[in-house]
Amino acid sequence: MDKTTFLPDETDIQAYVDGWLDEAGCKRVEAWMDHHPGRAAEIRGWRHDAQALRATLGGLPDSASALRLDPAAIRAHHQHCVRARLAWAAVLVLTLGVGGIAGWQMRGIDAPARPPPMADAVQAYRLFAMSRHVPLDVTQQRPGELQAWLDKYFPDAASLPDLAASGFLPVGGRLLATDSGPAALVLYKNPSGGAISFYIRSPAPHAGMLARGQRREGQLAAAYWSGNGYNYALVARADPSNLRILRLDSRR
Amino acid sequence: MADPDIDAQLNEVLPRLRRFARWLTRDTNSADDLVQSTLERALSRWRTRRDDTVLRPWLFAIAYRQFLDGRRRERRHARMLELFRGQAATEAPSVEREVVAHSVVQALERLPEAQRHLLLWISVEGLSYREVANLLGVPVGTVMSRLSRARIALRRLSGGGISQAHTLRSLK
Repeated sequence: MDKTTFLPDETDIQAYVDGWLDEAGCKRVEAWMDHHPGRAAEIRGWRHDAQALRATLGGLPDSASALRLDPAAIRAHHQHCVRARLAWAAVLVLTLGVGGIAGWQMRGIDAPARPPPMADAVQAYRLFAMSRHVPLDVTQQRPGELQAWLDKYFPDAASLPDLAASGFLPVGGRLLATDSGPAALVLYKNPSGGAISFYIRSPAPHAGMLARGQRREGQLAAAYWSGNGYNYALVARADPSNLRILRLDSRR
Repeated sequence: MADPDIDAQLNEVLPRLRRFARWLTRDTNSADDLVQSTLERALSRWRTRRDDTVLRPWLFAIAYRQFLDGRRRERRHARMLELFRGQAATEAPSVEREVVAHSVVQALERLPEAQRHLLLWISVEGLSYREVANLLGVPVGTVMSRLSRARIALRRLSGGGISQAHTLRSLK
């Protein structure tokens, strides 16, 4: 190629400055620069500046100080936030649900009617034991884990009922917000997929302790009682074997 | 793609992303804040990313947009403060009044931000002209002409090149 007829364009010159041209490309540009000393001085200056910047600023930050920038940690934090938002959404659903039921039952009644005892426990059973879409806060991986979890939020409360003799084992728990303050639901399952829930919360203000009792609501049955400053309920589908468990366990 | 694979890819680019963020924010802590929010956004948008998109420029583009958004918020805030104080925020020192810098890096510090970014991205980070064009949302030709102007300005401020004699004279 005739060196005097090669005319580098802007991209050739900049790529030469940044050292991106291959050897042949460099030689072509340098040959052209030999015939254009004015531009050549400027381009050599640019090349010098680019090299100086690379040499001075080309170092990478120390990675030791970047623990909070670990993608796995950021991902875990993000998922935690999503779960927390879902948890709050479910709590709102429950809180609204309890109010809605109470409102429905007051329909057409002049005197303010009280909702049936532990109506929120039955509502919580519907939400968590009968729906597959609402996640639990904790799942039991080791025996005793759910008891420890419950003790954290409801100190001095009665222990979780032991339903193992009836084939039901605790699988997970969930904290809830109610008009009477925080509540918790612990879900028990048996091998055939049956579910019983244990529910605990503080008594409603001015309501006092709860007289021991049982009631039916649709297909569900609830047994309820008080003790150690809390109200409790066991809720299950109202079939004969479940009713026997509720009767036995709420009397312990 | 499994999460550990994604994390491994991100970790590989992380040092360069942090350096890129430092050039933008010029402060280590704010740079890492920017990197963190960039990674959060990248992870939440990973599925929308086309497979053929190269990871580094994609992350840089997210970081740059976040940086510009933050900058706009700061400006709005500054304007609000001005209304209360009744005075304008001080402008960056004029390039014209600058004396000759002692080194190329000092000269770089005195360049207008856009020119400084351009030189860092291309000469130090090694982004291609096409990648820079995409980042800024301008044609490649515009990048080339801006790059020439940035290099001329850097030469002038560092006391090199054709304008050196003129710069020195003006100091007398």
